[in-house]
Amino acid sequence: MPALDDVEWEACLLEPVRNAPVERALRKALGTVPPGLRYFLDSAWWMDAAVALDLVHIPLLHLDPNLAEMVALVVSQDSACRYCFNMTRGVLGILGFSEARTRQLEELSTELDVTERAALQFARRVSRATPLVDAAEAAPLRALGWSDAAVKELVALTAVNVFFNRAATLPALPYEDATRLFESPLMRLAAPLLRRFVRARRARQPVPLTAAEREGPFAPFVNTLDGLPVAPRVRIAIDACLRGSSLGRRATALVFAVVGRGMGCPVSEGEATRLLLADGMPAADVDAALAHFTAPSLTPLERAAAALARDAIWPQPARLQRQARDVQPLFTRTQFVDLIGTAALANLVCRLSAAMALDA
Amino acid sequence: MSRVALALALLALGLGALAVYLHGERGRLRRRLDAAGDELQRMQAAFGRFAPGAVVDRIVARGRPSDAERREVTVLFADLFGFTALSESLPPEALVALLNDYFGHMSRVIEQHRGQVAKFIGDGLMALFGAHEPNPWQANDAAHAALAMQRALGDFNAERAARGVPTLRVGIGIHAGPAVAGVLGSQALMEFTVIGRTVNLAARVERLTRTHDAAVLVTDAVRAQLDPRFRLELMPATAVRGVAEPVATWAVMGFDARGVTT
Repeated sequence: MPALDDVEWEACLLEPVRNAPVERALRKALGTVPPGLRYFLDSAWWMDAAVALDLVHIPLLHLDPNLAEMVALVVSQDSACRYCFNMTRGVLGILGFSEARTRQLEELSTELDVTERAALQFARRVSRATPLVDAAEAAPLRALGWSDAAVKELVALTAVNVFFNRAATLPALPYEDATRLFESPLMRLAAPLLRRFVRARRARQPVPLTAAEREGPFAPFVNTLDGLPVAPRVRIAIDACLRGSSLGRRATALVFAVVGRGMGCPVSEGEATRLLLADGMPAADVDAALAHFTAPSLTPLERAAAALARDAIWPQPARLQRQARDVQPLFTRTQFVDLIGTAALANLVCRLSAAMALDA
Repeated sequence: MSRVALALALLALGLGALAVYLHGERGRLRRRLDAAGDELQRMQAAFGRFAPGAVVDRIVARGRPSDAERREVTVLFADLFGFTALSESLPPEALVALLNDYFGHMSRVIEQHRGQVAKFIGDGLMALFGAHEPNPWQANDAAHAALAMQRALGDFNAERAARGVPTLRVGIGIHAGPAVAGVLGSQALMEFTVIGRTVNLAARVERLTRTHDAAVLVTDAVRAQLDPRFRLELMPATAVRGVAEPVATWAVMGFDARGVTT
């Protein structure tokens, strides 16, 4: 795999864990325990979010399932996530993509279909997101006949991929796992079944948000996706994180605020700041925390979480992984796992601003 | 009849050989295309270390430098004190080895602090913070990098002193503000860099480290963004070339990691 061979990648910071009840729940919801999730099984909210956002299970209203997998490849490549890149390459192999075709995708070759190329280029912009994507950048897709709802589904899918990319990159999940998985004879036997399953993820009609789903933190990011099957799933993930993270709601909100500040996303930063103020953090402390990752009322854990969150914004795996290794001793295992998920989710949310831009 | 059969057999053999040859050619062509693709990717990856990904993409897509952009950046200049005299006392190979070793140490420190070395200028270097990706914490990153560079040079010098070879001293100047970022140069030599008044003033501030005998100097524009835990000392405002008013600078004396912002 030539594309990410040069990307520096540290040794994995976590060991996989066993958790029989959670594994049973995952099998029930997803049909299997995805190998990457084995590292995060000790966090309950993480599992709720992972099930809600599982890419193979999100029904697609507008996008072709094959295009969805192509987006996954391009985003993992752009995020320099060796783990997700290998995984997606394996899935593409199962879907029948030849090596030559996969390479065309990696290179965004001019031999690609015009629509595919425009969609993948847009996905890369959403993935990169600095500066945030504006409505004008969707013009090539609109010119090709894409509705705003279809573009938003592409944005959401890209953002969900970024979530899993960051979650795999931060603890340096071993990318060799993915290679081994797809080389196993069992996987080859199961390939036809998986192919049918992946391609069957069509939604027949829009899925409107309920009144309750339209309320809550970061509502603008969820509501802009109203009608898409992914929208209530994003709501579930955000609520699960804010309610269930062992970091506590304040540290969780701080991570969201830092990522919002770093990505130049005022809506996300504003939403997170409201949560911090509601939790009693003085406004001066919020300002100081976002400017310098420290303030009188911050705990050492909150300072470390904020400082690490900033490095989760940019796709520079080795730096992020070394930073994570440095701060890891400050956290319990569950807190560290929750920090990984929170930073990943904050990145997802900011990238949804590309969908909000279409409403402006 | 047998002649016709022989001719047909020879024709079949010839066609078969041609098919094998063409298949081999196609394979060779495929491999060459793959190799070219790999090479292009390696070039993109290598160039990606020196220019933002979006810039690299645009250059690859258009085959020419991308449009310039105005950005808020923090510029760090570092220059060795008294290096001209030292360079005259060293043989060329020792001089080059010394500089490469020094630049290697400094570059690592700068990258660890999220900066990018934009260019080496003789015995000096220019590093950028916030030029590749928008970075609201760029001033803090640059100041931390400067202190870490001084520490790294201390270690570098300790090892040199133990060997009985001359040690080095570096002055670092930092300024922040708007600059035009883009790829400049000719087809033969291109570089991603920033230009403008901010860059010029950062270079002048580096020269002031000699005037004020300070290791690290920052301007007011940098100080305004710095974490209050940096220990700063105000230096006398000094006239510099190209700036109408005397320039006030602050010496960065250290950082109190245990202090808390108020």
